[in-house]
Amino acid sequence: MKVEVITAGQGGQGVLELANYIAYFEIMKGRHAAYTPSYGPESRGGKVKCYVVASDEQIDSPIVEEPDVLIVMNALSMDFVPMLKAGGTLIFNSSLVEQGPRRTDIKVRRVPATALAASLKELGPPGGGDTSIAANSVMFGAFLAVAGEPLAGQTEAVREVLAHFFTERKAAYIMLNSRAVETGYAFVTDHPEETSAPRELLA
Amino acid sequence: MTVVQGAPAAEYEVKLGRLSTLTGRPTHYCAGCEHGILTRLVANAIEELGLRERTVLVDSVGCSVFAHDYINTDAVQAPHGRAPAVMSGIKRVRPDLMVFAVQGDGDAVSIGLLELLYAANRAEPITIFLVNNAIYGMTGGQMAPTTPEGMVTTTTPQGRDVAETGRPLDATKLLAGLDGPSYVKRVVLPIAPMGSTDLYSARGPLEGAKSVLNAFKVQMRGGFSFVEFVSTCSINWKMSVLESKRFATETLAKLFPPGLYKDKLGVEKG
Amino acid sequence: MMDGRDFMKGNEALAIGALKAGLNAYFAYPITPSSEVPETLAREFKSPEYPEFRMFLQAASELEAISMVIGAASTGAKVMTATSGPGFSLKQEGMSYAAAMELPFLVADVNRAGPGLGNLGPEQSDYLQATRGGGHGGYRNIVLAPNSVQEMAAFPGLGFSLAFKYRNPVVILADAFLGQLKEDIVFPKIAPERFPTPWAASGARGAERHVLASLHLDFEDQSRHAEHLARKYEEVESAEQRSDSYMASDADVVLVAYGVVARLCRRAVKELRERRVRAGLFRPVTLSPFPSNDLKALVDKGVKKFVVVELNAGQMILDVRLALEGRGQIESVHKMGGLLPAASDVVRRVEALSK
Repeated sequence: MKVEVITAGQGGQGVLELANYIAYFEIMKGRHAAYTPSYGPESRGGKVKCYVVASDEQIDSPIVEEPDVLIVMNALSMDFVPMLKAGGTLIFNSSLVEQGPRRTDIKVRRVPATALAASLKELGPPGGGDTSIAANSVMFGAFLAVAGEPLAGQTEAVREVLAHFFTERKAAYIMLNSRAVETGYAFVTDHPEETSAPRELLA
Repeated sequence: MTVVQGAPAAEYEVKLGRLSTLTGRPTHYCAGCEHGILTRLVANAIEELGLRERTVLVDSVGCSVFAHDYINTDAVQAPHGRAPAVMSGIKRVRPDLMVFAVQGDGDAVSIGLLELLYAANRAEPITIFLVNNAIYGMTGGQMAPTTPEGMVTTTTPQGRDVAETGRPLDATKLLAGLDGPSYVKRVVLPIAPMGSTDLYSARGPLEGAKSVLNAFKVQMRGGFSFVEFVSTCSINWKMSVLESKRFATETLAKLFPPGLYKDKLGVEKG
Repeated sequence: MMDGRDFMKGNEALAIGALKAGLNAYFAYPITPSSEVPETLAREFKSPEYPEFRMFLQAASELEAISMVIGAASTGAKVMTATSGPGFSLKQEGMSYAAAMELPFLVADVNRAGPGLGNLGPEQSDYLQATRGGGHGGYRNIVLAPNSVQEMAAFPGLGFSLAFKYRNPVVILADAFLGQLKEDIVFPKIAPERFPTPWAASGARGAERHVLASLHLDFEDQSRHAEHLARKYEEVESAEQRSDSYMASDADVVLVAYGVVARLCRRAVKELRERRVRAGLFRPVTLSPFPSNDLKALVDKGVKKFVVVELNAGQMILDVRLALEGRGQIESVHKMGGLLPAASDVVRRVEALSK
């Protein structure tokens, strides 16, 4: 089994962290994983792109040329859609992306990640801070659902992934983020996958 | 030549005869050069303090590059100007070793100024002896950072024009202005002619002997020590040895005044 | 991780790998994309886990850092520094002196694009500088080329072994991609190797003293020293060539690549095999000495075509040509400026070539 993922978005959306969560989760499941952060001119102009390759076998190339899954956090990063493998899955942040993809040979999951994260206010900092920063964790949950990972029984694993990255003072955010993961997972499970051209093109 | 003692004999005992800290090899230094005197003073101090088996000499580039041929301790040769960095490297992994270098003015004050300043600023427990003869001696008499205004060298054939090249740099003052060093001193080392008589003063070498010993003591107490020796280079100055002694003790000594610039640990008080 | 694996960046693995190999001292100067090496070591300095790690110091310049490395290595300590392109150029001064004085230490060059400041993306354009001895005078470095985070972790240990065995600087030539790449790795549980250093300048014992010098004014003396070094490089050349092959023995066409490029070429080989092209991969692990013997053996086995894939305009290909001595067809595929060739591009080029 091998899965290749690209996460894309803009600086500050937690795109690198999202890729790290996925890689670390795969390693915890006993697989090998390689994570490559965004580098080069792409990281300017509002686009950050990360590669994750996970496999049961030793990984050949850590470079993702044709992802099985593409997770897009902002409108500009929809530029990466042409890279997606035919039959692959696009998960995009419909809170910030109005225009869906034109490709008809891919599966599409629209997830209002920013809005879902923002709705978790009660888990934010005391005094009611903005929780939309956890949109990347919502997408992590969406990815787990798309990848067919049963969430039941995985809650501990997810928490362990988050605990690896949220250390020291940041540990206070583990609760918010693990709820965000569950929210993303539930959203994808509850909403059917789109396999043909999205609504706005058909309209 | 009649040498007049410049300091009370009781202050310093010159060890006579062969020292185990000297290899006994005749030096390549030119007649009248203070490098020879300094070599003896250093060996004397190492012997006095019983440090020979735990001393590492770092050769700098310049006339002192062969110092290990004469000083019989372990030695490492540094790239040009980098002696203070090499010394720092040694001392940082082997704080039990005594580490010292003899650097020239081109090595320490020009190409190696950064290494000197930073080692001093970090207060590395090392000892640096700077032989300032105001010229690049080994490369054949080019302008040094310490060359006085108007001095003719092979790269300033009309005399040093400070409007072009800036004024001579005073390393002792620079280091004394830093918080790091514990001991900063300048000694005019040459045996000095006294007026027009046939009398000479050995005040320089005697003061030098005391300073070398104190510099090592400062290192033993964990401090950075630096002694600048205003010296001669009669060959490249195109002077007789006597003229060069006069030039160093009368003219250079004004540009680079001797004195104790810093003594945090009070070693000079004893 | 529960199963003993770690998940970290190449640069971090290099740092921790060096600690596990018994690193005594690290002298730092920051430069992207290698700065995680000193940052990781600064974090671990004084950690009870690494009691042998006695010194971490940030220098004021690359020149100062490499000179500190020289000083510490002169005492027989295990010393390392890391840098990238522009800084690697500055290190060359010290490396020439170290080659002359036969000092063992590690320098990692996390190759970025160049010349000049270039950019922070991966290139392999320091190949010639690293393998030929980039400073003045005739000398050779031993150069290791990791291709994974696992090897970034393991090569400091191998590097120290070779450095102390031959009393020679060892370069770990990585690139910006490997430095930033994160993978799951396992640190081998082995005790750091100890090396005898009877030559070290750490205090005279009676009449016996140690002088480490590079100046030999007498021509006969310098000539003897140069011949001694030349013989040592020959010995390294005959004993230390290391390489990896993948599906190369029955191949019609063999890709030659090192570092991260070898990883994407391995993928290209699999794709080519699926397309019924008999492709293979030859990966130099030591770039100096270049593994000529193993490469030559492939020609003896009947491989006729070689495609050298590298992130420069053609540097390693010179060594491939030297090794093959005119036998076999040699083609070049390259990419520069921080870009990597796509495995699919490599596949297309090789397919075109094998028609």
